[in-house]
Amino acid sequence: MTANNPTIARRRLFLVSAALVAIAAWLPYWGFVMSAPQYPDESLMLLVSHDGIGGDVHEVETLQQYIGVRFPERLPELDWLPLAMVTLAAVLALAAFAGPGPRGRLVRRSSIGLFAVLLIAAAATVQRRLYSVGHDRNHHAPITAVKDFTPRLFGPTKVGNFTVWSFPHVGGVALIAAMTLAVAGARRKELP
Amino acid sequence: MTRIITLIVVAAAAVAALVQTLGCSETSSARTLAAQEVYVPPGEHDKYYAFLSGGQSGSVFVVGIPSGRLIREIPVFEPRAAYGYAVHPNDPRRRELEATGGAWGDTHHPAPSETNGVYDGRYLWINDLANGRLARVRLDTFETDRILKIPNLQGAHGIAVVSPNTKYIGVNGEFEQPTDGLATNPAPYTSVVAFVEPESMQVKFEVRVNGNIDIADSSKDGRYFFSTVYNLEQGKDMGGMIQFDRDALAAIDIAAAEKAVADGKAQVRNGVPIIDPEKAEGVLTLIPVPKNPHGVNVTPDGRYAIASGKLSPTVTIVDTKTLKIVAEPEVGLGPLHTTFDNRGNAYTSLFLDSQVVKWNVDKAVAGAPDYIIDRINVHYNIGHLQAAGGETMKPYGDYLLALNKLSKDQYLPVGPDMPEAQELIDISGEKMRMLAAFPTPPEPHDAVFMAASVLKSKVKQVFDVAANAVKAGDESVSRTGPHDVTVNMTMIRSAYTPETIEVREGDRVTFRMTNVETIRDMTHGFALPDHGLNVSLPPGATREITIDTPKPGVYWFYCTNFCSALHLEMRGRLIVQPKDGPVKISDWRAGQNVAGLEVPGVPSTEKSHDREKHHDREQSHDR
Repeated sequence: MTANNPTIARRRLFLVSAALVAIAAWLPYWGFVMSAPQYPDESLMLLVSHDGIGGDVHEVETLQQYIGVRFPERLPELDWLPLAMVTLAAVLALAAFAGPGPRGRLVRRSSIGLFAVLLIAAAATVQRRLYSVGHDRNHHAPITAVKDFTPRLFGPTKVGNFTVWSFPHVGGVALIAAMTLAVAGARRKELP
Repeated sequence: MTRIITLIVVAAAAVAALVQTLGCSETSSARTLAAQEVYVPPGEHDKYYAFLSGGQSGSVFVVGIPSGRLIREIPVFEPRAAYGYAVHPNDPRRRELEATGGAWGDTHHPAPSETNGVYDGRYLWINDLANGRLARVRLDTFETDRILKIPNLQGAHGIAVVSPNTKYIGVNGEFEQPTDGLATNPAPYTSVVAFVEPESMQVKFEVRVNGNIDIADSSKDGRYFFSTVYNLEQGKDMGGMIQFDRDALAAIDIAAAEKAVADGKAQVRNGVPIIDPEKAEGVLTLIPVPKNPHGVNVTPDGRYAIASGKLSPTVTIVDTKTLKIVAEPEVGLGPLHTTFDNRGNAYTSLFLDSQVVKWNVDKAVAGAPDYIIDRINVHYNIGHLQAAGGETMKPYGDYLLALNKLSKDQYLPVGPDMPEAQELIDISGEKMRMLAAFPTPPEPHDAVFMAASVLKSKVKQVFDVAANAVKAGDESVSRTGPHDVTVNMTMIRSAYTPETIEVREGDRVTFRMTNVETIRDMTHGFALPDHGLNVSLPPGATREITIDTPKPGVYWFYCTNFCSALHLEMRGRLIVQPKDGPVKISDWRAGQNVAGLEVPGVPSTEKSHDREKHHDREQSHDR
């Protein structure tokens, strides 16, 4: 067997994918950078990790009162997300050792399907959170100029004098990379 | 004939117009060049911090060079309401000032700490000539850190750190006193040089000198401390002080002085060992220089100490190893101080000539006739001058600041009291070039330049949390005695916690306040009308102050430092109930409302307190 053997290559792709998912569970998943004119070289940053929201929490909590935004105190989805990711990593590792036949293909495709479900569920949860941050507000907040808003999952959203950029953090990037590797692995042709 | 005259007149006019135009364009291009050199665009930083003594303002001014923009005033010996510095009579710093000589001072010579002969950006010392004090300013926070009353000394004038590693700060006592400090003592008055240990700020020893000890510098190897001394006559009036032809440059051998103290040759007075040089050989050498000298400055290479003649048009160049005079060249009228570039040139201020003269040290020592290189007029009556890094072993050789005593016609008239005038001169070329002028409040004497690259990264923008800081969630109002109330308060955009404080007439109220902001530049003030209280708290700062509440009433305290969109709403009430009033006043703690009821369902962690506070605030907006 050589490194060119497609089975070996596929196995490697799935194993790396599994490893990335496992590692990603402990890395920050998503990031938000908030910039405003009076924060010239010190943009505020929030990170969502398995243990909650970190970064410039103190400052963002101080600011949110002006526009009536309620900082999410607890994110219940973080209770199941790391576990789900570790499970997914185990499934991907299993898929790595699945045989070349139709059953093996089914295992591989199922693992990717599970991966896709997890990604979509996570993205939907985050987007739902972002929606509620912009809508479940105290509408008697002092600054009246800011209307209800929905920060984007990716990219910039203008909120008052702030521009909020949201983006996948290292964990999120690792997840996307893992998905790509797993798909590449599944598409490898069998030996004739 | 008429035609010839007309022709001559027309020709003369044409020539005059041409000269005028050429002259103007030359002036205008020189102006453009100078303007470009000092222009620092908005948002960009200056190359140097210049620390200017504030003279009778009792403070230190921090100015950006080359722009001349005033960046900050550091209050030292005088209260400054804007910085909440030493304003209230019970402010600990105010008490310290009163106890050491008074809530005013006369600062003259800023002296930064040195490591290996260059500024290290840790401390800046500044004297109070009037009340015989030395203060230390921390350069990470730009705050006055320690104030020392120097025993056995009046008129703390010249100061200098002992190079190259700030072993001591030497402080010259200018105003002579009876040796035992008592007016009944008929013996001639004397003065002392005090040596202060930089970290402990303790006076380690003093060396007695029979005369008025003026300006100071140290040799670059730390062996000698040089001071100019006038009035060797020990006269007590002006006429009596200018009798002798020569006074002295004093050289104190620091190791010999330390040994004299160790050998028990010093006499302790007010806790400080005083060395009488007549009883401890080798400590003091007096080098005769023309009478009533003023400045002394050691060359960056450490080879020469240069004493400026003041009344004599000369400077006296002394070899720092042999303590022998090697030359005494004429430089101009009223030489006061000398500074240096990195190319072997000296720049001496000429008070009477209102000039800076540039001269070459080696040429002057060699007796070469062409040692004078250039002169430039300054406006007017220059005192100190300072080139960038001129006091260190590595001058920068680019800018020189002239600190002029009089400004006369230089600025828009502002009444009989004219501003003080500084002028910035480019010394990078052979010829000096005048760049710009900027005024300040009274009255800078001396200045030092510190490269922004040395200091900028060391400056804190949020205070470290102090041991006595009040944490968010730990706020309280509690009675600690029959007439004592302690308020533990926090402040953050845009509210104080607590916002209502109830006390009784005649109570002594101690406010312990912490600004719990963690972001830079978010300073809050705490001003309490009719109680003499105005405190400024930069982010992270904790201040403690006790006030009396003599008169019943409702007093709104408010934020004096504009902070946020709800700055005007950032206030609260000190309610002083009549002494025997019917209202019952109970203690208050964060997490309970004023009536003493628990807020349900809040776990008592710091974080949840914090959240709950915001929650409360939002509820209050709801109302």
